[in-house]
Amino acid sequence: MFLLSILRVIKFSLQDFVRNIWLSVITIIIIVLALISVNLLLVVKVLGTATVNAVKEKVDISLYLKSESEESRILALRSKISSLGSVQEVIYISKQEAIDSFREKHKNNPEILAALLELGRNPLSPSLVIKPKDINNYEELIVSLNKIDDQLIESRNFDDHRAMLAKVNDITEKASRVGLAISLLFILITILVVYNTVRVAIYTHKREIGIMKLVGASNWFIRAPYLISGIIYGFLGVVAIIIILYPLLSFIQPYLEVFFYGFKVNILEYYNSNFFTIFGLEFLAVTLVNFLASLVAVGKYSKV
Amino acid sequence: MIKLENISKIYPPDIKALYKVNLHIKPGEFVSIVGRSGTGKTTLVKLLIGEERPSQGKIIVGGWDITNIGQAEVPVLRRQIGVVFQDFKLLNRKTLFENVCFALQVCGEPQSKINGIVPQVLKIVGLENKMHRYPSTVSGGEQQRAVIARALVHRPKILLADEPTGNLDSINADEIIEILQKINKFGTTVLLVTHNRDVVNKLRKRVITIENGLIVGDQAVGKYIL
Repeated sequence: MFLLSILRVIKFSLQDFVRNIWLSVITIIIIVLALISVNLLLVVKVLGTATVNAVKEKVDISLYLKSESEESRILALRSKISSLGSVQEVIYISKQEAIDSFREKHKNNPEILAALLELGRNPLSPSLVIKPKDINNYEELIVSLNKIDDQLIESRNFDDHRAMLAKVNDITEKASRVGLAISLLFILITILVVYNTVRVAIYTHKREIGIMKLVGASNWFIRAPYLISGIIYGFLGVVAIIIILYPLLSFIQPYLEVFFYGFKVNILEYYNSNFFTIFGLEFLAVTLVNFLASLVAVGKYSKV
Repeated sequence: MIKLENISKIYPPDIKALYKVNLHIKPGEFVSIVGRSGTGKTTLVKLLIGEERPSQGKIIVGGWDITNIGQAEVPVLRRQIGVVFQDFKLLNRKTLFENVCFALQVCGEPQSKINGIVPQVLKIVGLENKMHRYPSTVSGGEQQRAVIARALVHRPKILLADEPTGNLDSINADEIIEILQKINKFGTTVLLVTHNRDVVNKLRKRVITIENGLIVGDQAVGKYIL
């Protein structure tokens, strides 16, 4: 009997959806707008994190060592630097590793490769790449490294990237805040529109609801179709956002690849690997909002 | 079957729709409740179907004290009381058959049971040949008969008819009263709320007269005296 009631409730919900088709379409459009802003916020977050990571990689400090340095002495120097409190990790890049990396990086540039060949020897120096423990202690680390006076060190690359990093962090944070505000605004609009949709639907069916009550329909049976309509709106909204978002992401992906040249930023891959988490959570959130708005509207306006 | 003890219904600020009403209706009775418009007849119906709560007193229907009935229990009460109103309350987008089915569908009855009961009740009210027509394509009397059929599908112990002949001509009104009498003969208690003098006088059944919220007459075989 319960299953039968559920099926009838679903049937009444679909009837309600079709009979008020324009109202249903407008509600779904508003849900889609809200979801666009939420996804925009997510894209900004993902790209912001990618940018920060890209800059962080550049923050590493490189000590270039003399070409003829003995490996044992280099390793001793590495241990010495590793013992500094503000150092997280020291990576030793040998002459061979440096040239291999250089060749890989410029494999599509035949002119550079030809020049290297013409040179006839490995012109690169071995180096120590130092990753700071905390970006904020960058200055302290530089002071410590300057104190190391070792004959092996040929040059020191101590460019301070902190200002750039701070700026990127700042921009990402601001964009996130604006995105969050827009998302909240759309969520608020969604709640109001869904609430109003259900209210209008109930007014349209006031007579039907009255008759249902008269013949002994339970309150659950009267309310459930409107609540299920809310879930249908949420589901169709999420389906619509998937249909809209994927072509859009495919369109911007090549531009992102050019912009983040040298770094792996793939927003499409991010969405693919988190498909169920992203859209599942969005569906749950929209359904919850719709469900609550429907519950309030039904409770308030179905007393006939 | 129905017992009202000292029932008052007072609307703010101080409108006494019903005042200290005492009433006892036995199972299987056919009772006409008469009175002019605005005397409290419909308020009495609303109290009996749980649409309103009394300000004072006690209401018992079929041994069930419904004085302060909870919202969740109202549907259960309404499945035991069939209700017929003057304005039919049929769904225009459904056929007469579907309208009657609807009363069972909303209560979760299986389709096989619905298919068995509905043609039977439509036959009782004489609509077996018009069951697949829409309300707008049949007469007022036929619409009211469909409403009675819908009220009967739950096999109620009580049938409340609030001005069922109010929108009908005398021939259709007589037909409706005949159906109500037929239902009464099957054992259903019928409460007919009306201000139709001819109908009441022809019935020769118990008549309760209400005036200004008070019961001013209760005759076992009565006439319309106002």
